[in-house]
Amino acid sequence: MHTPDRRESGVALRGRIGPRTRVISVAAEDLRVFQLTMASATSRPLEYLEGLPGTTFYKLYQQPSTALAIFRRMLPDLAKCFVMALLYQKDPLPTADLEIWVSSDSKKERDNAISILGRLHVLSTTLTGENVRAYMLTNPFAASLRQALMGAEDSQSFGLFSQAPEHLRISVADLDEYARRQWEGVMGYMVGTSAFSGQRDTVNLSKGVKQLLQAGHLVEIRGNRVDITKDGFGFVLQDVNTQVWHILILYVESAEAIGMDSVEVLSFLFLLSSLELGQSYDKTHLTPNQTRTLADLTDFGIVYQNDADSTRFYPTRLATTLTSDSSALSNPVTGSLTGPVGQTSGSGSGFIIIETNYRLYAYTSSPLQISLISLFTNLKYRFPNLVTGKITRQSVRRAIEMGITADQIISYLLSHAHPQLRKHSAAQPSNKGVPASILPPTVTDQIRLWQLERDRLRATAGFLFKDFTSLAEYQGPCQYAAEIGVLVWKSDRKRMFFVTRHEQVAMYLRNQKAGGK
Amino acid sequence: MPRAVRGLLIECDPSIKSMILKYDEERHDYIVEDLDDENHLVIKESQLENLKYRLDRDLDEKIMQLDESESE
Amino acid sequence: MNTVDASEHYELGATDLSPSLLTIVIDTNPHAWDILEDSLPLSKAIANILVFINAHLACNYANEIAVVASHTQKAAWLYPSQTPPASTDQDGDVSMSTETTPQPNKYRPFRIVEDQVTRNLKELMDSTTATHLHGNTSTMLAGALTLALSHINRRTIAWAEEHGGANPDDTTAEGTAPSNRYSASNEDEKLQSRILIVSVSGSSDSAHQYIPVMNSIFACQRLHIPIDVCKLSGDAVFLQQASDATKGIYMSLTEPRGLLQYLMMAFLPDQRSRRHLVLPTRVDVDFRAACFCHRRVVDVGFVCSICLSIFCEPPPENECLTCGTHLDVGDHNAKPALLPRRKKKKKKANGASGSGTPMSVSTPGS
Repeated sequence: MHTPDRRESGVALRGRIGPRTRVISVAAEDLRVFQLTMASATSRPLEYLEGLPGTTFYKLYQQPSTALAIFRRMLPDLAKCFVMALLYQKDPLPTADLEIWVSSDSKKERDNAISILGRLHVLSTTLTGENVRAYMLTNPFAASLRQALMGAEDSQSFGLFSQAPEHLRISVADLDEYARRQWEGVMGYMVGTSAFSGQRDTVNLSKGVKQLLQAGHLVEIRGNRVDITKDGFGFVLQDVNTQVWHILILYVESAEAIGMDSVEVLSFLFLLSSLELGQSYDKTHLTPNQTRTLADLTDFGIVYQNDADSTRFYPTRLATTLTSDSSALSNPVTGSLTGPVGQTSGSGSGFIIIETNYRLYAYTSSPLQISLISLFTNLKYRFPNLVTGKITRQSVRRAIEMGITADQIISYLLSHAHPQLRKHSAAQPSNKGVPASILPPTVTDQIRLWQLERDRLRATAGFLFKDFTSLAEYQGPCQYAAEIGVLVWKSDRKRMFFVTRHEQVAMYLRNQKAGGK
Repeated sequence: MPRAVRGLLIECDPSIKSMILKYDEERHDYIVEDLDDENHLVIKESQLENLKYRLDRDLDEKIMQLDESESE
Repeated sequence: MNTVDASEHYELGATDLSPSLLTIVIDTNPHAWDILEDSLPLSKAIANILVFINAHLACNYANEIAVVASHTQKAAWLYPSQTPPASTDQDGDVSMSTETTPQPNKYRPFRIVEDQVTRNLKELMDSTTATHLHGNTSTMLAGALTLALSHINRRTIAWAEEHGGANPDDTTAEGTAPSNRYSASNEDEKLQSRILIVSVSGSSDSAHQYIPVMNSIFACQRLHIPIDVCKLSGDAVFLQQASDATKGIYMSLTEPRGLLQYLMMAFLPDQRSRRHLVLPTRVDVDFRAACFCHRRVVDVGFVCSICLSIFCEPPPENECLTCGTHLDVGDHNAKPALLPRRKKKKKKANGASGSGTPMSVSTPGS
């Protein structure tokens, strides 16, 4: 059935005690949802890659750096275990052996891992000599990953250090500052921070950047006006790592449109992600397309070069943490990216405090951050290093009407929560292994409830099967629909059921009719 | 003879459902099939946006709001 | 209004899983490696372990590695180097000039680890003289474990501070210090540490380290740090107990040549993945202990009723060597008494509850 059991019991509970008990029914689910959240963190680049044809993968996996990056960034934990277990095995691993290896409670995780591996063309099934179905790694991928781990003969997959003597070394701090300025400039351009503080020196964005943002439907340019779109609002509230990926995928898509080879661009991006921060790399051996990509990425602050003619380039932290989880990025860069300007990247990057009475205090003077917060908060006072305001139903509704979701608001608040809030929650006793939440639960729940006010029905497109003459006639196709996983709703009494896809069920009915006669 | 009808399965609360039923009474242009339990019905695909809009508008009117004054 | 609610989209706070710190203790005892020379020479084993280390680092950008050598006369760091050879200061000015031949065909973090491990291992071997080896066939496992633990401790605290977790000072102030920081809450939000021991020496060699080794094991147990043991030769008693007590993996390789495959399959998954996997665990763990007086591994021995020290024979003057209590050894004639099994059964059959178990009989005062 469509409605999971859990929710039904949740409904019963709440029905009795009232809506406020929702927190209880939710808490028990946290651990499970936790894992789902993990998966969603990688989803955007994953979705894009999945859409690529197999031949593209074949070309991509020629590069050890690409194989390594995809292995690290796109795969869930369990899938990584499978890959590594198979990597140095001579013979394919029988499917039954793999099933035994995974504990019976984790079937879902196993299937998920295997399906992702299949979709990324990393894992394939073959038949062994004894006609047993077995898993094996596909070849350019396995060979490249082995090369990445053991070192290869003479590929330049991990970049060439620049050998030219340096007149001016760029320090890591400089690179972070450059990345911050450029990236904040892009964000500021989208949100239109200039309205907030006219005096701030705005970064000069190239035409390419603006076009890319427009092509990605993140902004709409009408004459001289720049209007952020619904997608754009969602975009600016994401964490930096997700944002960078979003932009890069837009970039790859647009590169294709102007005749650049998307494989070349993609492998170059993965190469960038495996470079070392603070080192300069040689530009002279790059292909013209790669040089062009490099110039475009400079505008976003993903790489740095002194000028376009320079023979070397520096990857910034935005590039080198591409294949990491966002937390690796969050400290040094986001700290300076989002935190109060001039603050050294110390421990903890958060600056927002929320109280249970919905009051919000943000220790920042960054116009970008202030305008982001103002998207969903009624700001009240502004001090040199602090803005205060209150999250209200009105302000959240306004944000939701602009296309921002409650989850985006909450995740924004969460990723910028002040260390004080984190410390507080860490000191709380955990509830059966579920850590105490960082944000006040009343606030996060209320934000969701406010969203729900607008979102009172769930619609599923599909087909209603009805007018069955007998219960027996109804039961067969209904059961079949459930088995192939398209059944959404059914009523035995009315002999009706609702499916998301009708083709197979219709075929089933036809076959049954033919067979019956 | 069984039939398949195209539509949108709507899952909602009884209160919302009764509102949809009321809208439908005017011109019978929403509902494909009332599934007769508390919270499911099938509507025409083209009417979803319209329905959402009407619901939002009416709910805004009907639901009592807490006082949102900033003074405390 | 509850049919369609937000509970399904409810997400938990932390969005990223914490990285894991793998500390590898390599037993570099030359005597033991000499025996293995034909099947798996040390150089090849190290090469395999380095690939394994790379695989670990490849799994997560923030994963960390530490390598300790447990040598005959000392335990030494192989990675990270406690004293970097050349000055690699913050700007990297010096290190740039020294790296005259960069090999760009390898992911940098991998190469750094490999270089350091091989260089430090070579230094360690070069510094080993014949006098060190003469008459000394054991390995400094206890020392290596202690180094590993202290490193883990330092990294855990540093990581928690960097990521705005609980401030260690605060938790210590509450009194229930380390257990709070390491175990209680936020299992997923702290640095996941584990120890892998690649062991070649036999158990009899290390019996004299019984107490410090067991102490390290108990520390790991308390801090929820699994000790994985990959046994290439011999079969060490205490290491079985180590992995058993800390819920680690124990594997005794029948075919040392396949080391890499074993490492990749059994030892690579971190704690989080292990929840989903069926792990090779040992059912027949050797729980024997070493006596405190002669460091012999004993099946049955004497136990001080006050401090639980173990002795293979009644201590001289019947005084416990550890706590000094005078023990009434009785007329056992140096033969430990065992309750006959039959007797126990009978008691159960009689339904006599309470003081039936041998344990409670021997407790002083009962």
